[in-house]
Amino acid sequence: MTNNDIRKDEYLHCIRCGLCLSTCPTYQLTLKETDSPRARVALLRAMREGLLERPTDYTAAQYFRCLLCGACTFICPSGVTVDRLLELTRREMAELGLMPHPLVALNERVVEHHNISGEPNENRLMWAENLPEPPSGIGRERAEVVYFVGCVSALFPRSYRVAQSFVEVLERGGVDYALLGEQEWCCGYPMAINGGLDQARETIRHNVEAVRARGARLVVTTCPSCFYFWKHTYPVALGEELGFEVVHSTEFLADLLEAGRLPLRPDLPEQVVTYHDPCDLGRKGGVFDAPRRILAAIPGVTLVEMEENQEGSHCCGGGGNLESFDPEMSRAIAARRVRQAAGTGARVVVSACQQCERTLFNAARTERIRVRVKDITEIVLDALESRDQ
Amino acid sequence: MEELIVKLKEILGPDKVLTSLEDRIAYSYDGTFAQNLPDVAVLPESTDEVAVVVQIAAEHRVPVVPRGMASGLAGASIPFSGGIALSLTRMNRILELDEGNRTVRVEAGIVTADLQAYVEERGLFYPPDPSSNRQSTIGGNIACNAGGPRCLKYGVTGDYVLGLTVVLADGRVLETGGKAIKNVVGYDLTSLFVGSEGTLGVITEALLKLIAKPQFVRTARAEFPSLDDASRTVNAILSAGIVPATLELMDETAIECIEEAMHLGLPLDVEAMLIIETDGSDEEAVVREIEAVARICRENGARAVEVAQSEEERAELWRARRSVSPSLARRAPNKLGEDITVPLSAIPEAVRRIKEISARYGLPIVIFGHAGDGNLHPNILFDKRDPEQWARVESMVGEIFDVALELEGTLSGEHGVGTLKRPYMEEALGPVSLDVQRRIKQALDPLNILNPGKVLP
Ligand SMILES: Cc1cc2nc3c(=O)[nH]c(=O)nc-3n(C[C@H](O)[C@H](O)[C@H](O)COP(=O)(O)OP(=O)(O)OC[C@H]3O[C@@H](n4cnc5c(N)ncnc54)[C@H](O)[C@@H]3O)c2cc1C
Ligand code: SF4
Ligand code: SF4
Repeated sequence: MTNNDIRKDEYLHCIRCGLCLSTCPTYQLTLKETDSPRARVALLRAMREGLLERPTDYTAAQYFRCLLCGACTFICPSGVTVDRLLELTRREMAELGLMPHPLVALNERVVEHHNISGEPNENRLMWAENLPEPPSGIGRERAEVVYFVGCVSALFPRSYRVAQSFVEVLERGGVDYALLGEQEWCCGYPMAINGGLDQARETIRHNVEAVRARGARLVVTTCPSCFYFWKHTYPVALGEELGFEVVHSTEFLADLLEAGRLPLRPDLPEQVVTYHDPCDLGRKGGVFDAPRRILAAIPGVTLVEMEENQEGSHCCGGGGNLESFDPEMSRAIAARRVRQAAGTGARVVVSACQQCERTLFNAARTERIRVRVKDITEIVLDALESRDQ
Repeated sequence: MEELIVKLKEILGPDKVLTSLEDRIAYSYDGTFAQNLPDVAVLPESTDEVAVVVQIAAEHRVPVVPRGMASGLAGASIPFSGGIALSLTRMNRILELDEGNRTVRVEAGIVTADLQAYVEERGLFYPPDPSSNRQSTIGGNIACNAGGPRCLKYGVTGDYVLGLTVVLADGRVLETGGKAIKNVVGYDLTSLFVGSEGTLGVITEALLKLIAKPQFVRTARAEFPSLDDASRTVNAILSAGIVPATLELMDETAIECIEEAMHLGLPLDVEAMLIIETDGSDEEAVVREIEAVARICRENGARAVEVAQSEEERAELWRARRSVSPSLARRAPNKLGEDITVPLSAIPEAVRRIKEISARYGLPIVIFGHAGDGNLHPNILFDKRDPEQWARVESMVGEIFDVALELEGTLSGEHGVGTLKRPYMEEALGPVSLDVQRRIKQALDPLNILNPGKVLP
């Protein structure tokens, strides 16, 4: 997401062919042109060309009613990077003071508390408290790997399980890792997509220094948005090399499994699963194989793909902070995705993102759709030999 | 206008009646670069709601412009006189699939590709395949009588329309046609609305004919060092008595643009490529035909002919073909795509003359299209912000039309007239045809509220 190198007049390359309407989750939901990528680009153009002289809250709303999922960019035959254009327009809206209130509040929380929930940042390790043994990564001053937990798994009890499962797997694999605890600050992504990339720079600097201080060669995240932002925006925002690698937990786990470092139980049950590609991990981050390699490495797991998979994946509804701005729309989009998942006949939907997991889980529950939603780290943990063996 | 909007909101509810500037901008354009704001955009969900909207519009003498997915390439769904942009996209249900009689009844706003996927899952087939099938509606396809690659063998949209439900300009609802294949009771009103571009009535439902899905398909790609050879080959294949399902031509710029967009490993050192597909229910015959096609291509100067080995390869080739038109935007901010047809034997001459126009005016013209039925899409690439270029483009368009007419062809094979080609109608149709068409419009829409200013000059 090198927002800075996008061409100023890129909106002119939209020839209004309409193909992006066919993949845009918001348009597909309402079938109203205003909710389409083509219209969002047209509005931007109207602002540039004077047809829309004074943008209002309603103008801004069109950009915040978007998941920034990138499905439009992927399909656009004339090469418009629509989602980046829309992200930049969000920033412009913010500069005009048109950012929707819940998102202003979100940015303020991050600046003040260094996390999205607004609680004291010391709470970042609460998820570790009810583990049988405290993770060895706590308080470690030097380590090969830093596990960057991310706000959601660290602070939302519903998602603790992702962090818990992942450290458990790290322990079993004998990985030399550190947790940053309260020195971990929100990665800055939520701010950046709410129009505050400049605000995010301080937090970016802080996090990079924290990792450097531990002499780590690798940062691993379970959150695809953290991953994407660390990997693609951090170096650009700082204007320098990070000096360490950034990988997503699925890449890390796939390597561990294939290297035989994670002993699997012999008696694994047969299960049919489908895999939901998170937008930031797949289409935007380019990681498609690693999660599939993991599933292939676990005996008994059969993967059936949804029709919209990999680059063509359909957002879970949780992208772009839509949930804060228009929860109802977010829920409806999630429901559509869960129905697609259930349509494959799989009993389990696996994702590799705490946000996807949460949105899909809620949708499955409210819509009474009979599929279980799991994060891929849980699937791996379930397949490991129990500790005492 | 205000009174009309209040009434509409009262009857349809505020969610279906959009008046903000942002919403009006969203309903101001189509797949061209033209644009004009409607006063209001309305999103009805049933024939009854459409009828009410048209009635109210008639009372207030306000224009109603039907709109599908606005992928049109003729400016036909742009509300140039303001008024109501009437979007059919929410009327997208499949009403009845009759597998025994192979017909399907749908609402007009259904996306063509969705309908195709639905019937193909059931072993049936709806052949008309405009390249825009994922971003256009059946209603829009009927209103433009859309064609596509497969129309060479299977015919155009109009050949599959058995009946229509149409809201007339006074709000009455007309039913035409029916499931019977032969039907000569009265005038053929169904055909009247095919290609009417929203100027005679609002299509709200359609009864469509389906066929059994061809079980076997072979797709070949032939590379030609010379564009002239490629265009000659088209007629050579057809004269040999083979009717391929599709026969598509792309020139070198088209190939380069797709390759830039999709990285398929297409050859960048040839002047043209043909994509040819044969299909049917007898595998041997299908294979035999594609082999004959390959031989004819080689005899006529093809450097290489490759037959797709898997369904993925084939899908990729078609994805490539479908993205030609939009991928041209990589070359220049604007493109003006024409849609002429010429008799098959005149294709090489037409291609030569068009390239000559391009050279003379110093602006690139990319040529691709459904060569098998003589339908070419010369696209002029330019920058509209430069008024001098735009002036050149306008004369070039005139010359391209002259080429078509001189070679006994016509102005539009499938995109329709809209506003962009209106000035050329008189020359294309002659006074008698034009007079008859004007009387039809007068009879059906005496107040001239349905898509005014379109089609007829
Ligand atoms: C990339 C691209 C490729 C294309 N390829 C092809 C192709 O291969 N072949 C081809 O024929 N066309 C092609 N087109 C043109 C266009 O897609 C077709 O004309 C299509 O039929 C338009 O359908 P729509 O739903 O988008 O209609 P719109 O563009 O919304 O409307 C087109 C016209 O139909 C009228 N209309 C729409 N719905 C109704 C209705 N329910 N009742 C009455 N009138 C109605 C409108 O008033 C307007 O006059 C292409 C366009 C693009 C952008
Ligand atoms: S696909 Fe690209 S060119 Fe086509 S309407 Fe969407 S953004 Fe514009
Ligand atoms: S980023 Fe996603 S939600 Fe936003 S316009 Fe593009 S496809 Fe639609």
